[in-house]
Amino acid sequence: MKSQIPEPGIFLARAGERPLPGPDFAALARAVLDKGASFRFKATGFSMFPFIRNGDVVTVSPLAGNPPRLGDVVAFVTSGQQKLMVHRVIRIMGDSFLIKGDNRYSADGLSPKASILGRVTRVERGKKAVFSGIGPERALIVLLSRRGVVLTLLLPVWRIVRPVMRRWIA
Amino acid sequence: MEAKIRLDAIYGPSEDVVSREIEGELLIVPLAAGVGDIEDELFTLNKTGRIIWELLGGQKNLKNVVAELFARFEAPVGEIEEDVIGLVEELLKRGMLVEISNT
Repeated sequence: MKSQIPEPGIFLARAGERPLPGPDFAALARAVLDKGASFRFKATGFSMFPFIRNGDVVTVSPLAGNPPRLGDVVAFVTSGQQKLMVHRVIRIMGDSFLIKGDNRYSADGLSPKASILGRVTRVERGKKAVFSGIGPERALIVLLSRRGVVLTLLLPVWRIVRPVMRRWIA
Repeated sequence: MEAKIRLDAIYGPSEDVVSREIEGELLIVPLAAGVGDIEDELFTLNKTGRIIWELLGGQKNLKNVVAELFARFEAPVGEIEEDVIGLVEELLKRGMLVEISNT
């Protein structure tokens, strides 16, 4: 016996902004990166302030066989809740990586290589790419982060140092 | 130039697309220019769209997809054909679907 068409009308639509459950979001990111494509999404939270802010749009690119380096900001899946998080590598211990948010006092713990899906290659704010601590300056950031320095507290200093570093990098 | 949709052709999901069922909804991310952009380019199919997407699995030509839908649903075959062609056009335009062969 035939039934009514379930939902006539527009079949394909933009999904719009919607929070996705943690494990599903992580699985979606993994599926995209496993195909060799980059994954672009809006970041939430303050754990990477000031380099990545709540609402910034982050692009994560596949590792492509190149293991994470010291200072890389990586997207990884947490072991407990299976959520996708974006924090910085502050120490490498064999095949494990000590990862920490720039705006946190303590590290997330050791993460195995398999849990790291990709590295951040671009951060956008207001549709423009912003300086995000993923260039040569990451060595200094790692040094400070290892010593438990929460970078937000250094913001006034950073505002003076940043233009100097930009000229140095250029 | 847009390709003409042929009822004797078989269409299937592109390799440059990721689809996942999340909370009962099918979400599709086209991988345009090597980027899966869920900030600006995340799509969803409604119930009917999802049924058509699942039938467009790369096994049946469009004529057979229309026939199967006509067998299941109370709607004129012309209307069903128009809806299927419309969705296929949209999916082809966004790189989510490709023509696999014509029979």
